[in-house]
Amino acid sequence: MVSGALLFQGLILGVLLGGLYALLAAGLTLYFGIMRVVMLAHATFIVLSAYIAWRFATLTGLDPMLSLIATVPLFFLIGFAMQRYLLVRLRPATMTMMSVLITFAIALIIEGLLGLVFSGTQRRINLPYGTSSVEFFGAQIPVVQIISFALAAVSLVILYLVLKKTRFGRALRATIQHREAAQLVGIDTGKIAGFGFGLGLATAAVGGAALSLQATIYPSLHWHWIGPLMAIIVVGGLGSIPGAALAALILGVVRLMLEIPLGPTWAQTIFYLALFLTLMVRPYGFFGGRLAQRF
Amino acid sequence: MARATGTTAGTTTTDTGTAVLRTEGLTKSFGGVHAVNNASVTFLEGKVNGLIGPNGSGKTTFFNCVTRMIKPDSGKVYLRGKDVTGWSPHRIARAGLGRSFQLCRVFPRMTVLENMLVSVQPESIAQQMELPRNREMVGRAREMLHRVGIDHLENSEARDISYGQQKLLELGSTLMSDPPLVMLDEPAGGVNPSLIEQIAVLIQELNKEGTTFLIVEHNMELIMKLCDHIVVFDRGAPIATGTADVIQSDPRVLEAYLGV
Amino acid sequence: MRSVSETRAARTAAQSGAAGGGSPGRLRPTVIILLVAGVLALWPLIAGNPYMLSAGVIVLNFAVFATAWNIMGGFTGYISLGHTAFFGLGAYGTALLVINWDVPSFVALLIAAVVTLVIAIPVGFAALRVRGASFVIVTIALVLVLQLVFQGWGNVTAGSAGLVVPRPFPDLLRPEHHLVFYFLFLALLVVVLVVWMLIDHSRFGAALKAVREDEDKAESLGVATGKMKLTAFAVSAFFVSLSGGLYGLWFGDLDPIFQFDVVLSVQVVLMALLGGIRYLFGPLVGAIIVGAALEYFLLNFGETQFHLVATGLLLAAVVLFVPDGVLTGLAQLIGRFKPQAASIREQSAEELRDEREASKAKKVEAEKVETRQAEAQQSKEEDRG
Repeated sequence: MVSGALLFQGLILGVLLGGLYALLAAGLTLYFGIMRVVMLAHATFIVLSAYIAWRFATLTGLDPMLSLIATVPLFFLIGFAMQRYLLVRLRPATMTMMSVLITFAIALIIEGLLGLVFSGTQRRINLPYGTSSVEFFGAQIPVVQIISFALAAVSLVILYLVLKKTRFGRALRATIQHREAAQLVGIDTGKIAGFGFGLGLATAAVGGAALSLQATIYPSLHWHWIGPLMAIIVVGGLGSIPGAALAALILGVVRLMLEIPLGPTWAQTIFYLALFLTLMVRPYGFFGGRLAQRF
Repeated sequence: MARATGTTAGTTTTDTGTAVLRTEGLTKSFGGVHAVNNASVTFLEGKVNGLIGPNGSGKTTFFNCVTRMIKPDSGKVYLRGKDVTGWSPHRIARAGLGRSFQLCRVFPRMTVLENMLVSVQPESIAQQMELPRNREMVGRAREMLHRVGIDHLENSEARDISYGQQKLLELGSTLMSDPPLVMLDEPAGGVNPSLIEQIAVLIQELNKEGTTFLIVEHNMELIMKLCDHIVVFDRGAPIATGTADVIQSDPRVLEAYLGV
Repeated sequence: MRSVSETRAARTAAQSGAAGGGSPGRLRPTVIILLVAGVLALWPLIAGNPYMLSAGVIVLNFAVFATAWNIMGGFTGYISLGHTAFFGLGAYGTALLVINWDVPSFVALLIAAVVTLVIAIPVGFAALRVRGASFVIVTIALVLVLQLVFQGWGNVTAGSAGLVVPRPFPDLLRPEHHLVFYFLFLALLVVVLVVWMLIDHSRFGAALKAVREDEDKAESLGVATGKMKLTAFAVSAFFVSLSGGLYGLWFGDLDPIFQFDVVLSVQVVLMALLGGIRYLFGPLVGAIIVGAALEYFLLNFGETQFHLVATGLLLAAVVLFVPDGVLTGLAQLIGRFKPQAASIREQSAEELRDEREASKAKKVEAEKVETRQAEAQQSKEEDRG
């Protein structure tokens, strides 16, 4: 039968995976909170960032995480531009539907371009520490996963600090909660929304770099992530970052634990099961997010 | 179609009559704010009931809880004696409750006539697959449109007519299914005085013909003129009920409004 | 000098004409559908080679899929990106029935569609618990989870190895095979178009459109929105499943990656949007345009990733520049050549009342004249009698 040590290892790995999921889902939550936009291209940008990290590493031989110096500001700008110049052109009446379609279009374009430029060959970064692991109370934890988790955790903490402690963060939260009221107190909601979007896409940059450390990447990888990420934010409650983080952690652990008996394909279905359950029992999510009320 | 007729306002100081709408301990909180706080209210059949209160007193939340646009946390709602707590909005509507919305809502890309016809509910599947209009339905719709005064706009799209005309359309479509109780959320909001007058006259006429009304309003003049049974809300619960005279001289009401 | 009865008869006739007026019957659209089908039936004559013919089959398949999708999307405004799930279920369902239980192909087609319908009910019930963006997310999840399931269930579905579907007419050569299926798909298209049209001209359809315009308001007027939406969802799932099953029988080879592909969902939505979701022939027009474009890309750029880029660009272009679809633009163009309705926005309440008084006065006058005429007629008759 499955040993306690194996279970413990699964638990740790699950938490590490959950942390990564949490970072990736946080961005999605931001877009939704700011503009009620379902940003289906988020996962593609994660993959794009992973590709950039890989290319950087293979070209320069330096650690792929250094690519973040370029990708984070770049993605921030792209996010800002997308919100300010693309999404605002959509009619408010059909915003949600049309934003789904147009972000999906962006996802297809990026996936296609990645395929054209890098071909469909699977890529993986060769890291000096790529195969080493650390021992932790009998569990073998790959170093790359610890680094991914650390990256994710640090980013989430920074995100939290920005949202709670800075003026920008306050303005952003106000815009998310009640746009008109925010405007009334003098907040330039248009610009703030743009920055918020940029922030969301910046998290995709970090997530992609973290992903590049441990995963094999290929152009259609984003399909592997869209479903789980969407499920996470619905289970967590649309518009709630802590909710998404909590859901991510729990689902990450369950997902990994299930991989032992069921194998990866069937284990992946846990996200959809959780989604279905959420819809039947608490359609607005389990961990908060009043924004889901009637959008 | 006999229904109880109302007593004229001001002749009685105590409230008598059957309850058309009654709530027991209705509560709804948002976060820490008790928008509706254990509200037990009765509105009377055959009268023009009024629900007033200062801003933030929970009137609209109460309204939405009763019509089930939002789910109350606890409490019960009785419509003409029937326990409708937990019923979906469309079931409550079919049970005889018509309502208008605070920010007038019509079906924007349907014509005025089509707007009116939505309220006519088919009963069977066979009826569902009938053509969307027949002579009888259209005749009734036209009569109602004529009554509210916008029959000449029959083929215009609802989003093309003025706000005041939309308000009349909303009223008309609510009345199409002949509901015994009609709840109006700020019917005078955003319209000019002569239109308010027109609406007031219409409400009085319909009330005489047997329709019970419940009006949530800020326009005091309108309330005092129209309503023979008024409930005053403050901080999520009723603080006073009675006729216009009784309400106007109640010190609690003055305190709620003026903070005196 | 008309008699009272004649005048009254004339008035009733005018009223009934007006009551029916503006609401077209169902005869004319049915005729138009048959005419369009007749035109489409000419394609095999025009098509130069079997490849063009098979391209026609694909386009018709898209058209059926898109029109069936539009039963949900067009009427209720709920954009489902998950209908590919029903397409795949129809395809695999039909195939498995034929392979495992020797069910005749077209019987299997129907059974698979019914099974899909039954599955669609609880699925739709869950999905319709939410609106807008959440609904879209849920429908995407539906396709993705089925893809996983059908890949994982290798022993039943042959998973990624691909499932070969026995041909219903094994003796036919390829060109004849394409020809037969062209007309089968055309027949199915006619059926789906008629169903869409019937719903469009029914009270059920009017209720669905009310949901699209303002769901809360519709509910407050007593429309059973939940039941309506679920019915539309299930009906559209049924017909999408039929098109999937027919595709399986025609194409002969199934793979979860291609059958449960969200991109296919998006392409179908693109077709409906491009054509115009409020119009009977919108999805058909969209299917022809997008289908032809996709085939063109395939021919010129092969199986590379470029077709993804092209689909994405086309989708973005439609969303940004033609969100109401081609047929809406056409309708507006035609409308500009018709006599303009007077702008009525600026009429004040006073003017309104004056108008009413005036028309009331006119009516009273007219009635007075009538009664006078009637009395005159009666007295004449009394004199005679």
